[in-house]
Amino acid sequence: MTDVQFKNITKHYGAEVALSNFSLSINSGELVSILGPSGCGKTTALRILAGFIQPTGGALLVGGQEILDLPAAKRGYGMVFQSYSLFPNMTTSENIEFPLKLRKIDAAARAKRVNELLDLINMAEHAQKFPHQLSGGQQQRIALARAVALEPPILLLDEPLSALDATVRDQLRDEIRSLQKRLGITTVFVTHDQQEAMAISDRVAVMRSGQVEQLGSPRELYQNPKNSFVAGFVGISNQIKSTKIGDAWKVLGSSVSGPAGFNTGVAFIRPEDIKITPSPTGIAVIEEISFLGSFVRVFMSVDGNRVIADLQISEAEKLNTGQQVELTIRDANPLIESI
Amino acid sequence: MISVGKLARTGFWILLIGYFLLPMLAMARFAFQTIPTFLLTTENVFQGWGFGSLTVAFQDAGVIKSTILSLQLCATTIALTFFVLVPLTTYVEVSAPKLKPWLTGATVATWLVPPVALVVGVAATFRQVIPSFLTSPFTLTFFYSLWMLPFTYRAIDGQLRLIGAKNLFEAAQSVGCGPITFFFKVILPNLKSSLYISASLIFAAVLGEFTFASLLLKQTMPVYLWSFQSSQARAGFALALLVMVATALILGFAVARMRKRGLNFSATGI
Repeated sequence: MTDVQFKNITKHYGAEVALSNFSLSINSGELVSILGPSGCGKTTALRILAGFIQPTGGALLVGGQEILDLPAAKRGYGMVFQSYSLFPNMTTSENIEFPLKLRKIDAAARAKRVNELLDLINMAEHAQKFPHQLSGGQQQRIALARAVALEPPILLLDEPLSALDATVRDQLRDEIRSLQKRLGITTVFVTHDQQEAMAISDRVAVMRSGQVEQLGSPRELYQNPKNSFVAGFVGISNQIKSTKIGDAWKVLGSSVSGPAGFNTGVAFIRPEDIKITPSPTGIAVIEEISFLGSFVRVFMSVDGNRVIADLQISEAEKLNTGQQVELTIRDANPLIESI
Repeated sequence: MISVGKLARTGFWILLIGYFLLPMLAMARFAFQTIPTFLLTTENVFQGWGFGSLTVAFQDAGVIKSTILSLQLCATTIALTFFVLVPLTTYVEVSAPKLKPWLTGATVATWLVPPVALVVGVAATFRQVIPSFLTSPFTLTFFYSLWMLPFTYRAIDGQLRLIGAKNLFEAAQSVGCGPITFFFKVILPNLKSSLYISASLIFAAVLGEFTFASLLLKQTMPVYLWSFQSSQARAGFALALLVMVATALILGFAVARMRKRGLNFSATGI
């Protein structure tokens, strides 16, 4: 069992707090992404797990064992870095072979394992090339193969796709996920890209100011964000001023259920949850219609505020810019926060 | 109309010829042409050349002895510099980046003290504490290592930054590599180009260094040549020119060979 438990981990750099009572449980074989804006502490958490940083306080358990006293080189976790970090003096095969040599595995077994991994990452024809002769995507594949060469119990990925261009990024992201599932390695993936996190993860931990704001599956985070920060960080949300009338909340042209205790608030509505109906007396005016391939994005103005709706192509056929429309929402229970 | 680039190139060649090549040619004519100096004109540039003066130089036992000493000092200075500086710079880059401004400052500090003051200060201190320290000519090794620090440190530090030594160390740790293995298997092979350049710079500088050796009364090649030239002017100049050309060729050869092997010199400024 290689489950990971961060228990109230704190990390201070002088007066600056990087992690504050950071707690996170990761199940064995699971891929959890730590997602958050720059400076939220996500990389600090990963580096503490890797053994590169000692926390100021708290406990870190792997498979039920406290590991904070274990040096990084003894932990045996594979790690992939944003900057690839391949050894420039070694060829592709030598880079992958390096951890196996350190373990004093015999030459025949090493060669077999290197060939297996080269095939796994489709880099067999580049085996004798040096890192500077390879593209960023190829280098990162080798870094991944090197990281899993010793079949580590935990794989740590520190923004491994950030330096790559969009096409390679998507392709490598899928390869990482497929490899992780095949090998069943407990994986922690740090990223600031919410699409990346949503696409690759079993669960996502959204971080802010050194703490986990919400932990859940990508679907949970998207459909039921805990607060405005998560709603704003994961996907696009319209922030619509709402008022409470009786027991219900009036959001655009719909009445929905919502929290008690305050009478005016902001509702967070996903673009695909907004329904548009052409109406000469409608409160919204269409400003722009963008065709985005599989769907259409409509930008509207409501009392001077911009509202975005994502529609099926067929739903948008009768819409034109400058047209007045009525807006209702499909979400019966949206997140509403007091102003 | 002449472009600025062309003008700059022409200016560069005029400066190179006027400031460097012409004096070298004059030196070569004085040393290798068997024509009395007052008869050297533009008409007899190609007449009377020979290596007689070099033969005279190499027949002098003092020249051979001092050349061997200078070459030994090159070797000991390179060894001492690498032995101390490479692990220290790597440690600071990888594990103690906060110390970097101090180390950088310390490497430059040696140039803030003039050689005369440095030698007098060191001599005054060590004559009392370790009297034997200054008697050996190899004492110069310590002075030369200190004196070359601004150049050697920068070449090594630049290369460490270029390869991202800190990240590489973390990558090495993540696959179970300790610091010693990391130093020998990753750092040293990747420092090859800067070590070659540092060694070449030390070689060139030590072979021509006069002040420290003269102040400490050590008969290195430049110091011996100084006195040798007063009795054998042509032989002395011939030898000096040979050393200069040999140094330039060794430096050029080292760089060309390393480039051919794909080593990157950008961090060393060459």
